[in-house]
Amino acid sequence: MAKEGDMSLFNDVLEPFRRVINSDPPKDKLSAASKLNFSDSNQSLKEGLNNFLSMGKRKSSIGMSESCTPEKRLRTESSSTPASAPPSPWEAKRLKIDLIAAKAQITKLESRINHQHTIRKEMQILFEEEKASLTEQHKRDERALSDMEDRLQIVRRREQELKDEYNEAIKEHKQNKAIWDKEKGELLKQIAEMKDKLLEANVTSKDQMSEMKKDMDELLQALEGAQTEVEILKKEVTKQTSKAEQCITLKTQLEKQTFELQQVTNKLKELEYERDSYKDWQQQAKTAQKRLSNMAELEKEVGRLRANERSLRDSVCNKLLLEEQVHQLQSRVDALQPVQEELHEAKVKISSLESMLEKYKAVARSAGVDSATALATALDSALNTQLSATAATSHAHSQLAQLAEEVATLKFERDKATGKLNDLLSVRKNHENLIHRLQKRLLLVTRERDSYRQQLDCYEKELTVTLSGEAGSGNATLLAARVEQLEKALQGYRDLLATHDSTAHAKLVESLRAEGSKHREEAEALRRDVAKLRAQRDALTAQLERIGAHTHTKVLHLSDNPAAIAHKQMQQDLVSAQEEIKKLKAELEKNTSSTSSNSMSSEEVQKIMAQLESSRIKLRRMKEEFTTASQEYRDVVYMLLGYKIDRTGHNNYKLSSMYAESPDDYLTFTLVDDGIEMVHTDYSTTLGELVDLHLHQNRSIPMFLSGLTQELFTRTTMQQEQ
Amino acid sequence: MSQQQTKNCITLRGSAQIICEYLKFAINSVLFQRGLYPPENFKAEQQYGITLLISEDPQIKSFLTNLLTQSEEWIVNKKVSKLSLVILNVANKEVLECWDFNVQYEDGDIALSKEKNETVSSKDLKKIQQEIRDVMLQVAATISYLPFLDCRCSFDVLVHAKTDCDVPEKWAEAEPISITNAQNVQLKSFSTNLHKMETVVSYKLVD
Repeated sequence: MAKEGDMSLFNDVLEPFRRVINSDPPKDKLSAASKLNFSDSNQSLKEGLNNFLSMGKRKSSIGMSESCTPEKRLRTESSSTPASAPPSPWEAKRLKIDLIAAKAQITKLESRINHQHTIRKEMQILFEEEKASLTEQHKRDERALSDMEDRLQIVRRREQELKDEYNEAIKEHKQNKAIWDKEKGELLKQIAEMKDKLLEANVTSKDQMSEMKKDMDELLQALEGAQTEVEILKKEVTKQTSKAEQCITLKTQLEKQTFELQQVTNKLKELEYERDSYKDWQQQAKTAQKRLSNMAELEKEVGRLRANERSLRDSVCNKLLLEEQVHQLQSRVDALQPVQEELHEAKVKISSLESMLEKYKAVARSAGVDSATALATALDSALNTQLSATAATSHAHSQLAQLAEEVATLKFERDKATGKLNDLLSVRKNHENLIHRLQKRLLLVTRERDSYRQQLDCYEKELTVTLSGEAGSGNATLLAARVEQLEKALQGYRDLLATHDSTAHAKLVESLRAEGSKHREEAEALRRDVAKLRAQRDALTAQLERIGAHTHTKVLHLSDNPAAIAHKQMQQDLVSAQEEIKKLKAELEKNTSSTSSNSMSSEEVQKIMAQLESSRIKLRRMKEEFTTASQEYRDVVYMLLGYKIDRTGHNNYKLSSMYAESPDDYLTFTLVDDGIEMVHTDYSTTLGELVDLHLHQNRSIPMFLSGLTQELFTRTTMQQEQ
Repeated sequence: MSQQQTKNCITLRGSAQIICEYLKFAINSVLFQRGLYPPENFKAEQQYGITLLISEDPQIKSFLTNLLTQSEEWIVNKKVSKLSLVILNVANKEVLECWDFNVQYEDGDIALSKEKNETVSSKDLKKIQQEIRDVMLQVAATISYLPFLDCRCSFDVLVHAKTDCDVPEKWAEAEPISITNAQNVQLKSFSTNLHKMETVVSYKLVD
């Protein structure tokens, strides 16, 4: 019955908690409901208690006097605590307080949960918004990336195209170069050919000159046909001039070729310019690559945004943590419920213990001790008897300990005595051993003594024998003395043996050892020497073998080796030299033998001298003729062309006009490889116009000269007219 | 450069070629260093990481090619024990200097030889060339102590072959030479692990 009542009470107590957990009513309402419930539980409790009390009445007669106290308590409890077990009001009060506190906590926690729910919703909304924005941004970034990639591909394509163009240009350039090289080579060949021709022409001219000389000889031989030959010479002059003209035309051709070369070089320059432009293109490509490097920054930004997203995710995680905490709190509340159950069980136990106490009291009453004091006196007497008994036992114990101590001391003394006895026994044994040894020695000594005695007896016998045999008292005394000496020596030896025997032996052993080690070292050294000598022997045998092998091998060489060749050459040289010497010697001999034929040779010399003289005269004449002819030639040239031509030095010619105003007005020309050139003089600077017209534009020296003649002529005639 | 070499493996013929190449450069170097021929007849060539001089004289060239092709054959067949470069006075055929190139035969890498079924060496070619270079530098340094050759000199190469070796065409037997009052200088040696080449120069000590 009591248990059932408790269970209902417990249910009643739990009811408000459940309500609180299931729904969250306002605070004042909750308190009213709890109050109501508590009053209900009070009524049920009262009924339960009454039942209990009636049972107690049936069991014992003293119940009435005792039952007044629970009644009183009940009255007080009905006003204070609803979950009161009958006996302790303080606990009930505490329980109530705890309950209220728990409720308050629960409400607080719930409100917090709600608050966090709302926060979480807000956070979720925020997260979704941010997520959307991020995805948008991400898409935008992707679009930008794709754009950039497209642009990169375009740039690459452009670069490739440029490279191809460059390669083509280089190819063209190479081809052109090859062609031009070929052309150049051809032109050079032509030039060479031209030069050859010129040389040939020169040679021919020289030949003609020689012909001219021949002609002059003819003139010398026959002075008649001189003038006709002059004409021939004139013709030749004209030929030469024509050739000179040809040369000039060749020169113009050369100039043309040089011009073409210049054009070619210009084209080369253009190609170089194109190459430079290609370098510019490369630089542009580099800048494009730099722009591409900015891509990395964009990627960094994307990374940053991703980090943001991660942090948001972290906060979501935090939210989840909070939820977990809430869950933990709920679980704790669940854990608190069994504690309460335990509380109720404890209350039940208290009641049962009280009933037990009652039973004990009843037993005491039955033993005849009505009051507690009587019980105490009885207990005291019993304790006194026990105390006296314990005192007696302690006394007995102390006596026992004393006896045990005495026994221990006695035992110690006994042990000491036995130890001494043992020592004495060992000493005795030693003494016995000593005695035994001494006896043995004694035995030995006695034996020795006996033996000596025997020896002495022997000697004496001998002595007696000898005495009896020879009867020489001197000899006997001598022998006795000898025996004594021998005995003494023997004794000395014995003493020596006794004293020296151990130390001397040890010394001997040591010395022997030292000697042994010395010998060993020596042996080692000798072994080393042996090894060395063996190695030497091996080396020597190897050498011998090699020498032997030398004799066993064949020595071969190429039969036509440089040494043999050189030797042969040397011998040949020697032979030839000897032959030459012989020859020379023979010649020398011949010379010495034919000194008589010198007169003959002097005649010959005279002849030769005469010839020389005549040839010299001839030469002089020829020279004269030549100078006159050349003078004539110069005069003719002066008269016909109006210029006096003087050779002033190597390849230098001075021209002075017939109509010149002063002898200082002259022109100088130098003969160069490819024609003739005018050299600046004071006079030539005054002829700027003519120089410009004929030399620079027409490139014709004859025209210049004739122009100058004409001008000078007109000037002189003008002066004369004036 | 026609060494038959694959993956650190030198065959017998390859080794003989290395030896003969060394001989060619060594003989040329001696001819240049000792002034047997005018220096304008020599051409610089890069070999073993140093500049060596090779004679351009057609007579010397043909002589050396004839000599070395035959020597290579003999070295492969282990017929030759020594090659001597003899420098002699042309006037009286007196031997003034003798460069001995001793050839010794070695086993090479036995394990690898079994694997390849022919005698081979696993010595690194670079290492061999380094060793040869050291010898070459020594050869060049010999002029500091060798006596001056102040007469018309020429040279010959004597091959010390085994007696069972047949004498080919253009070859003849020669007298073994000896230098009176000779001074020997052993130079560094090098090895291909199949052939070991010792170089010794002996010269007439002038006092």
